[in-house]
Amino acid sequence: MRLWRLPLAPWLYLAPAALSFVVWVYAPLGRAAFLSLFEWNMLPDTPIVYVGWANFANVLALPKLWQALGNTVVYMVGLLPLSVLIPFAVALYTQDLPARWRNLYRGMIFVPMIVAPVVAASVWRWLLDPGHGLVNVALKYLGVGPVGFLTDPGIAIWSIIFITGWKLVGFSTLIVSAANAGINPSLIEAARMDGASRLGIVWHVRLPLLSSTALFLVTLSILLGAQWSFSTINVLTNGGPLGSTTNIYYLLWDFGFSSLSVGWSSASAVLLFGGFALLAFLLFRITDRYSFHDN
Amino acid sequence: MTTDVATAVLLPDARGVRGLSTSRVRGRDVLGHVVLLLLSFVCLFPVYWMLATSLRPPNAIFDVSLWPGTASLANYRATLEAIPVVQMLFNTLVVSSAVTVIQLVTALLAGYAFACWNFRFDRLVFTLIALTWLVPFQVVMIPNFLLVADLGLLDSLTALIIPHFASALAVMLLAQAMRSFPLEIVEAARIDGAGSWRLLWRVIVPNVTGALASLAILIFISTWNEYFWPLLLSRTAENTVIQIGIQMFMTEQGNQWGPLMAASSMASLPILVFYVVLQRQVVQSFMKSGLR
Repeated sequence: MRLWRLPLAPWLYLAPAALSFVVWVYAPLGRAAFLSLFEWNMLPDTPIVYVGWANFANVLALPKLWQALGNTVVYMVGLLPLSVLIPFAVALYTQDLPARWRNLYRGMIFVPMIVAPVVAASVWRWLLDPGHGLVNVALKYLGVGPVGFLTDPGIAIWSIIFITGWKLVGFSTLIVSAANAGINPSLIEAARMDGASRLGIVWHVRLPLLSSTALFLVTLSILLGAQWSFSTINVLTNGGPLGSTTNIYYLLWDFGFSSLSVGWSSASAVLLFGGFALLAFLLFRITDRYSFHDN
Repeated sequence: MTTDVATAVLLPDARGVRGLSTSRVRGRDVLGHVVLLLLSFVCLFPVYWMLATSLRPPNAIFDVSLWPGTASLANYRATLEAIPVVQMLFNTLVVSSAVTVIQLVTALLAGYAFACWNFRFDRLVFTLIALTWLVPFQVVMIPNFLLVADLGLLDSLTALIIPHFASALAVMLLAQAMRSFPLEIVEAARIDGAGSWRLLWRVIVPNVTGALASLAILIFISTWNEYFWPLLLSRTAENTVIQIGIQMFMTEQGNQWGPLMAASSMASLPILVFYVVLQRQVVQSFMKSGLR
């Protein structure tokens, strides 16, 4: 449809947004690719030296990079119980509660989502403090601990995942509940008429109908979970102890703004972008293929 | 699907009322309440503990009684003396409001172009805009930082605003809202001789206020809570946002728990109060965005 004859009109309307995306996303992507071939420390008066693929070779040879990639996978997978499994269990288990109650609970479990990541990190830092934090005080009462939730290299990453998941669990539960409540009641009724048990209805009717919601939540936590952890990592552990909580996003920041190595950071950024795009493409393909659509 | 789920959010009873009231169902209900109460507790308690700690007198900060016996504003006083909280809150408000208004306007214009015109490469451009959602910020942070530095805007509020000039999510949501607008009305207005600019503001905008309001909530809260970009740019306490201020009470040498919790409370209260007042709308705008 063309409503007005002036062919330039849509482009004029588009211009502010489009220009912004060119200036702040696409041009920077190009500049990052360009900088990945150079060595530079970001100071205006130092020379930018062409080093070809050396940055890539150097970065790929770093054990730190592989540790960070491994940790990134732990973040992505470790988040799934809080972002997908528990929300599904809670939403399906509590579907029969009266609406008035569900509204009340909804209001409460959504709160972490609007709490700022820095605030969440500082509150949990206080709760998990080895000396006086409430969690360790309670554990001591039970004769356990104190546990170095943020200082023990084997535990710290799970504390960060828990805090990231804490922000998401209520939101995910609401998404599943809403999708579950949107299922056509006549389908459930039909299954009941056929003599399906409660569990049978959940397993054979509800879960297949909720598969697209599940895939959406999985995609969201895999693509964004490790990124969302960034603030928590930076506020709580700075990637430590011993690099045990550093994921690839934090490593980029570390290369760029702690080590001031623009080349290394850009080379890892290019690698990350490639891997991320591939992962996103795969996840969207899977979502398209396996999600089951009602109607 | 979006509308289905949005309806379900708005009308939790949409799936109909069931007349079951056997004792077995009641037993399940009780367990359901237990599960949800437990989840609510986990979600709410840290927020409560933040407020409770912030109100304790400094000499009782390690007190673990669940209810603070004597309330004291000493931590708040200490926070206000240590960092320019009022200035930071004001900065945060300025940045969040500016970003909200700017993103709504750019998205409104771009969404209008997609909804009411067919033009060469329109699908390609739309895809390219949607794809920006997939570029992790860490990938473009150095070039963006260099650009801001070249413009001489380091350590300024302007620099916190301009990279958020447009949002892919806002463009997509508003384009979708406008596409569902009946074309006959647009056509009729055009025949009456209305220009496209006037039509946008007189006819389209009044009809997408719902989408605009819910986007505004979402953008405002996300910008208020943003941490990473201010962290890169800020140099002085007077020119930064409250999220950076909170961090100043956590150092390698130790944590000042009282002022830390007071600063965190002051950073959260505006959003929490807003949430208490407009709970339904806030939840709904987050869910709409999440359901795409």
